[in-house]
Amino acid sequence: MKTFHLGWVLWLALGLGSTLRAESPDILSLTWSEGRPSLEFRLLPSISEYRVRSGSTPSATGPGATVVPGDQAGNRWTAGAAAGGDSGFYRMEAVPLPSETVRSGALLHRIAYGPTPDDLDRLAALGTDAYLEEQLAPETISEELDRVPDTGPVWRKVTLTGTGSSSTLYVYLSGAGDAYLDDFRLVAGPTDNGVATNLIANPGFEQPLAPANWTTTTNTANSARTTDFVRSGNASYHLVQVAAGSTGTDALVQTLPTTLNANATYTLSFWYLVQPSRLQLTVRLSGSGISLTVPLQGDAESPAPYHARLQEGTAGIGDLRAWHVLHAVQSRRQLAQVFQQFLENHFVTEYSKSLTYFDERAGLPYAWSGPEATRQEFKENLRWRRAFLDPKCTFHDLLRISAESPAMIIYLDTVLSRGDVSTTTKTNRIANENYARELCELFAFGVDNGYDQVDIEQISRAWTGWTVELLATNQAANPFAPRTTVLINPGLTNATERNSVTNLAGLWSFRYRTDRHDSRVKWIFHEHDAQGNILTNTPKTVPARFGPPWAGRPYGLRLNNGSTTNGIQDGYQILRHMADQPFTQEYLAVKLCRLLVHDDFHHGYDFTDAESTPEEALVKACMLAWENPPNGGPKGQMREVLRVILRSDLFREARTASAKVKTPLEFAVSAMRAFRAAKPDGSRTSVTDAPVLVASGGLLDRAGRMRLFDRADPDGYAEDAGGWISAGTLSERLRFVQSLALAGSGLTTGTGVRSNPDAMGANRIDPAGLVALRLGTDRSRSAEAVTDLLLRLLFPSEGAGNLGGYRALGIRFLNTADNGSTASAFATLTPGTRDHDARIRGLAALLLSTPRFQEQ
Amino acid sequence: MNTPQILTRRSFLNTATGLAATAALSSLTDVPLFVQKALAEGTLGKPDANGRVKKLLFIFLRGANDGLNSVIPHGDDAYGPKIRDNIAIPVDPAQGWNVRGKALVPEAGPTGAAFAYPFSLPMGNGFAGLHPALKFLVPVYNAGELAVIHRVAYPQQSRSHFDSQAYWETGAPRATMVKDGMLYRAMVESGRPGRNSLTGVSFQNSLPLLLRGSRAAMTNLSDPTRYDLLGVPNTADGNTKAARALEAATGAAFPGKANRDLLQQQYENMRRTLEIFAGIDFSETGNTFVDGDTTDGNRPYHLFPTTNAKNGAGPSGTTNPGYVVPASSYGYFNQLKSAALVLNKTDALVAGTQIDGWDTHSNQGGVTGAHANLLQRVGWSIYALRQYFRRHAEQCRWEDLVVVTLSEFGRTTIENSDNGTDHAEASVMFVAGGGVKGLRTDATGKVARSGVFNCGPSDPVPWQTGMNGSMFQSTGRYLQRATDFRSVMGKLVRDHLGATQEQLDRIIPGYADPSQGLKSGGIQAQDKVRVTGEPDLV
Repeated sequence: MKTFHLGWVLWLALGLGSTLRAESPDILSLTWSEGRPSLEFRLLPSISEYRVRSGSTPSATGPGATVVPGDQAGNRWTAGAAAGGDSGFYRMEAVPLPSETVRSGALLHRIAYGPTPDDLDRLAALGTDAYLEEQLAPETISEELDRVPDTGPVWRKVTLTGTGSSSTLYVYLSGAGDAYLDDFRLVAGPTDNGVATNLIANPGFEQPLAPANWTTTTNTANSARTTDFVRSGNASYHLVQVAAGSTGTDALVQTLPTTLNANATYTLSFWYLVQPSRLQLTVRLSGSGISLTVPLQGDAESPAPYHARLQEGTAGIGDLRAWHVLHAVQSRRQLAQVFQQFLENHFVTEYSKSLTYFDERAGLPYAWSGPEATRQEFKENLRWRRAFLDPKCTFHDLLRISAESPAMIIYLDTVLSRGDVSTTTKTNRIANENYARELCELFAFGVDNGYDQVDIEQISRAWTGWTVELLATNQAANPFAPRTTVLINPGLTNATERNSVTNLAGLWSFRYRTDRHDSRVKWIFHEHDAQGNILTNTPKTVPARFGPPWAGRPYGLRLNNGSTTNGIQDGYQILRHMADQPFTQEYLAVKLCRLLVHDDFHHGYDFTDAESTPEEALVKACMLAWENPPNGGPKGQMREVLRVILRSDLFREARTASAKVKTPLEFAVSAMRAFRAAKPDGSRTSVTDAPVLVASGGLLDRAGRMRLFDRADPDGYAEDAGGWISAGTLSERLRFVQSLALAGSGLTTGTGVRSNPDAMGANRIDPAGLVALRLGTDRSRSAEAVTDLLLRLLFPSEGAGNLGGYRALGIRFLNTADNGSTASAFATLTPGTRDHDARIRGLAALLLSTPRFQEQ
Repeated sequence: MNTPQILTRRSFLNTATGLAATAALSSLTDVPLFVQKALAEGTLGKPDANGRVKKLLFIFLRGANDGLNSVIPHGDDAYGPKIRDNIAIPVDPAQGWNVRGKALVPEAGPTGAAFAYPFSLPMGNGFAGLHPALKFLVPVYNAGELAVIHRVAYPQQSRSHFDSQAYWETGAPRATMVKDGMLYRAMVESGRPGRNSLTGVSFQNSLPLLLRGSRAAMTNLSDPTRYDLLGVPNTADGNTKAARALEAATGAAFPGKANRDLLQQQYENMRRTLEIFAGIDFSETGNTFVDGDTTDGNRPYHLFPTTNAKNGAGPSGTTNPGYVVPASSYGYFNQLKSAALVLNKTDALVAGTQIDGWDTHSNQGGVTGAHANLLQRVGWSIYALRQYFRRHAEQCRWEDLVVVTLSEFGRTTIENSDNGTDHAEASVMFVAGGGVKGLRTDATGKVARSGVFNCGPSDPVPWQTGMNGSMFQSTGRYLQRATDFRSVMGKLVRDHLGATQEQLDRIIPGYADPSQGLKSGGIQAQDKVRVTGEPDLV
């Protein structure tokens, strides 16, 4: 009788240079199948390889011992052959990813909007510490995204290869407006060598238009040949539209002299003049076998035109959102960008409420109110951005920007709040509590943390008089200035029109009104009796749970600034006083840890506990860095707190990587970034058309109504997974991915990726282009190489040992025909062809749809 | 008849490659042993002899509804312009407030706007009046199918929206360790999450805490017409490569991490529920439910007004004869319709949605204005749900349903300098349904029992009138509670949905604790306030 003495010695082998703690994978079961041992084990995070070694004694299973061949399928390992001999000892090893790899993945998911392929390379070369220090000092990173490009006429050429769906070409704009076009080419084949036969008649508009070449429609009847701008030859075409075009009845049309071959490949190109316009230009074959939509502003991805409109005050909220998203995708100052979104969400305001205020209360026409409300959102964000460029930026700086922002003064109702004495009741009016409450609960201390209802009532009185007014431009920073009297049109004879806000030149700004202020003494953070009577000799003290150096400190505040302009100091003193209290330190540390580490932090820890959790210890470390910054500078320096978190052991742990779920913003931006690599010609393998992502009905709206700069509730958008993940939001994310993977590819159905229902505008990813860039043509034929590349780019911290399931799936996907069952070797597909492109797009869509890509 | 879930198309599960994660997932939805035992006793989620199951529809009024201007205590002479100069709701001087009998329906002119009535509507108990924007509650009230519970809150009231909403949703005020929702726990107790694809469903931006929990996935959709995996409806040839691959990807094993169970559950939930939702017509063209009654001049209103035409717009796009709800509420009524359809056409037990915008710190308005516009939604919602479930019942009749509104707290008794109100304490709940015990009159039309709780002349916990009365009892400024909201929810969960007392003690932690007075009333230990215990609602 044959007996087995199979001992499993379990431990975890440490990788070179690893700082991971040694943990053994738990063995859940051990079974035999036809003599082959098979075991089920618990997977560990960030493992590059699981393997089994054998030896005749336990000590003989060390690193030099024979590796037993076997197959891993998820959390099960099965030996490749029946165990030989009567007995043996085996040891299971889990080889962790190098800690630098884990940390670079974690950093790129937390202080950046997900990794780009180029960022992963850069971090590997630079090291994570250097990257972190660079990102903590954004002023040292050059950034020219908002710089307006060269002036003068700029012509751009666009090219697209697709399938001949018909022989009629449409050219149209997305709205009323104009564009200049020149030098169309359409040639057979996947490329245009510049000399192939051009299938378009009168392609450069050198001849007068005739039914034999171009025809206009009612909508384009004002168009004409022109010599004002010329790309080549003597003329170009000035397309002028009355309304949006969409098809042959409202476009510029050419019925091609040559009938195109359905399903054959053709390449279309043309030139257009770049203009600072929001319109999109579409050139397509009827049937959309080739369809190209480009923004007239030229580079769809440049935030510069948005920035220009924001600066001049003509931008709408869509412009601001697009600008914000484009920076998130492209900025080299990724940490600053993440932090700005954090601030916008922490000091939350609501664009729509400002709009309503300007429209209904301030007397602005509706059409002006949107841009004005947008300007206020932009202004506060710009101030935060600038503040953070200061190496010693403090929380107080940021809090003060928020408090002074007209967007906030309107949002939490301070703008109408009064505390002066009413002429009818002869008592002080009751101040609106809204801002005072959220200042305590959401912006500084955290709920029920060091304040109560009596404090809120006292604080609410301090903010009375903080209003919004149209001040002369040179007085916009003077809160005591009266309403501007500078007239835009002094010639108006009608007095009502002449004096209306629409004829006054100035900027809507913070204005302090002494006549609305409650000038009585305020006793804040003082003890009180059960009836709410304040004990003026007894300031509150910091609770014992904070321990040293905070516990027992009195933190009462008495304000007596009177009724003159000094009354403005009530508010400023409160901000100054609250900004560095331990409650604020704790609450902000908790919020930043939730942003950067994981969801499970909360305020209210007992910091005197001898046995503290890593979470509690990290919060306390943040508070100490806030209280006593290592650089000896002022309290509350944000960079010092961020550094503590990002250099902590907790942040480096493998369990921290991927422990958070992406918000809709993070999901969309990370998808664009994941495929965004620079090609040698300067173009990229992904293109972001931000307005589509942030539009009503776009991904951010659909997947949980994340309307940037327009949050109704003052708690800001959720940072935890439960706020974003449900069946309905997941289905929206998957729809987006499918639409994105297909956008601009000319592919529709029957490709393994289903047809897309949602318009993606000019958003594009080019996964096959990325693969070609990274693997070269030959290896682009290898299903294994392609799958491994995408897995490494999308899930850099997971480790190959844990990605085996996805890998097998990806390889099988690439080697299967579009019907989902027939084998179809990927290696037989030629890179550069439609079929090869479609297969890789399908794989990209699949991987972006997985649970793991929802994580960061 | 026990109708199964609608499965009009080939089950999506059939497209699985066999790598599916069902084995791994079953453990997440397994019913705990102690629940299985309790199941044998209670009827929560169980069909009766006729195959009927009791259901619940919730509407959360987020932002804190001003109860004092919803159900107005005219019997308290402190209420009026002296505390609410700009926003008080006046009484019709022609009849006064001390009216006995049924609630009064105001007369509307033949072409007048639907909400032109400028006075509160006496509720017939000689004390309370309804805000005129709630006038469509009157037919429901007079049918005896609406209970109005005033002065509802909980001990040691939080005035934070977010904390207080969380407490209302967990059913465990001030117990921050309780992280899952009250109705989620009720669903787990029903034992259905392991057996049925749908138990609790919401239609809003994200799954509310009421339905959140770690052991089973509840379902939230914001737009069921877009609920289709991979963007296109499953076609006859829908068994595509991508769907199979995704199926497999969802089942791949990974090391455990913070949110991976949640993701796994919701991916699985999506796969299981796609077919169910695909079988229900949520489209605009499917919204054909018309109010045929002679309510308010027999106007051609749809029960779920989602377009101007369905909201009483005249033939040329004019508003004549008057919109029944504000045009800005069409999105909400779409979601309410979805919740009604799901309860009626699937075996879901609980469904709901929310109305945002109740945080009326400034320019709250009085008879008209922001608050009135919000109340219009509530009044019409309850009226319309009654009509829908009476006329179109499939798996759920009006008798099987209870509709309940929740709101995190009430608002300050005295208005502020912005003509608004700030955060305070007790507010009002509306509970409606075919089996709800509301107004009862005798043969002569005399009131045998009012449907108004805690806002009448002779309540078990009396309404104290005057400037030191109930409206100023809590810290001298706020309306004090007379009933704990958990007593209302507990009564509904046990006596309507069918939980046993033992189950209820788990669904609402501490329910059995006598010092809380939740069941039978008494003085609540935390702040020594007397409460009624469970109102006699169902």
